[in-house]
Amino acid sequence: MSDGDSSPVPVQIVLNKSKDLVSIEFDTGNSFEYEAEFLRVYSPSAEVRGHGNEPRKTPPGKQLVKITAIEQVGNYAVKFVFDDRHDSGIYSWSYLYEIGADKEALWSRYLEELDEAGLSRS
Amino acid sequence: MSESLTKDTILEALKQVEIPESGGNLVDQGLLSEIVVHGGKVYFSIAIAPHQAEAFGVVREQAEKMVLQIGGVEKAVVTLTADHETGQAQAQKPMSAGEQRASSGVAGGKPAPSPRAGIPGVKHIIAVASGKGGVGKSTVSVNLAMAFQANGLKTGILDADIYGPSQPRLMGISGRPKLGDNDLLIPMQSYGVKVMSMGFLVKEDEPMIWRGPMVISALSQMMKDVDWGELDVLVVDMPPGTGDAQLTMAQKVPLAGAVIVSTPQDLALIDARKGVAMFQKVNVPLLGVVENMSYFLCPSCGDRSDIFGHGGAEAEAKKLQAPFLGAVPLHMEIREKSDLGEPVVVGSPDSEHAKIFKDIAAKAWDEIEKHEARASTQVPTIVIE
Repeated sequence: MSDGDSSPVPVQIVLNKSKDLVSIEFDTGNSFEYEAEFLRVYSPSAEVRGHGNEPRKTPPGKQLVKITAIEQVGNYAVKFVFDDRHDSGIYSWSYLYEIGADKEALWSRYLEELDEAGLSRS
Repeated sequence: MSESLTKDTILEALKQVEIPESGGNLVDQGLLSEIVVHGGKVYFSIAIAPHQAEAFGVVREQAEKMVLQIGGVEKAVVTLTADHETGQAQAQKPMSAGEQRASSGVAGGKPAPSPRAGIPGVKHIIAVASGKGGVGKSTVSVNLAMAFQANGLKTGILDADIYGPSQPRLMGISGRPKLGDNDLLIPMQSYGVKVMSMGFLVKEDEPMIWRGPMVISALSQMMKDVDWGELDVLVVDMPPGTGDAQLTMAQKVPLAGAVIVSTPQDLALIDARKGVAMFQKVNVPLLGVVENMSYFLCPSCGDRSDIFGHGGAEAEAKKLQAPFLGAVPLHMEIREKSDLGEPVVVGSPDSEHAKIFKDIAAKAWDEIEKHEARASTQVPTIVIE
């Protein structure tokens, strides 16, 4: 009976004073840092991911976005509330671990996507 | 021989760590943050003033050593954190010499354990679910709640079946809940158990023709806008399936566990498996499986008939490596008493059936405590600097 024990679970989630950086320490010992912009553009919400088979909608202009609140969602996720009013993303532990571990590649992809669409971060 | 790894065991070990200068030990001086135990890993921090960083380096190491000596501990992460002292610039500097564990990323705030987003006063919230309808989940919920109560626990029951609320009839209650002084609904009571159900707010034969968001909102209100008071356990009677109600419960409150009810039949089991899988996906521990309508004993000739088969749920529980909480037989008395609003646990407290339910409740409570000790649903501390 796994109880979801097989995927890493955060032990502590810290939002810094300027509200633009989240540090998460997982029970595996790994720690990752997530800029608010990174979390915002990789929000698991269908608004960003696309509904069903729709493509990703990389949001532009999120360079200065900040996080105004972090809410617990049951036993398995948190919700980040951003100062641009986006709050529909439910970030499960496994999702947070995935994007944390893969941040470099995902960040490059984000910059490319903006480029291709002729959009910018600011 | 490893002793069970609980916060108490850890605190006992940490009492042996002495504080330089002021004397006393780490625990009594109140310097410890919330202790987080995850599997074999233990995390906590020690609060100090910034200038004590070097002196406490030794204390930190000692604390780690003491914890590592406890059986079952694979890893101990102890960090030093400095209080924010308003007006003092030194509090803003990130920990340097004292911070031996760079991984924590806490730059200067004393981590305050965030309150578990649950229902204030309610210690454990458990869901009673089934994959499909018609397996007798509500009857099991009521009798389980009554059994918890009979076993000495302060119990409440929340009827989460918005479309087909059954608790008012099963518990023999009618009437509308009143609004208390603090703007919270006062739950109805039956045999000492607090109850809230959509059935108290609408006429019995009135259909609730509602879309999902209204169901979600109604459920949230029944959880948070009701004056539940101090409860050891709140039993939530879930509607069948894996939809809005289940998601709402899994997201809005930290469930301490789920009990799955099934009949012995294969058909019911397939759906029960889905129910189990759903709770696993959202990190809700499985307290166990109850086989309802397990067999029928003829009241006149005493012959036993396995009307829906027998033992299927128990076999399934074994396969899922989940505890088997018990088998409830089909009996005229259970059904008759139910329809009269007298759950068998209170109506015939000395009967075989009442005993079966009390045993199920005792086993379920054991599992709840086991998961609590193991911190299976430990949620992370959220720190806002």
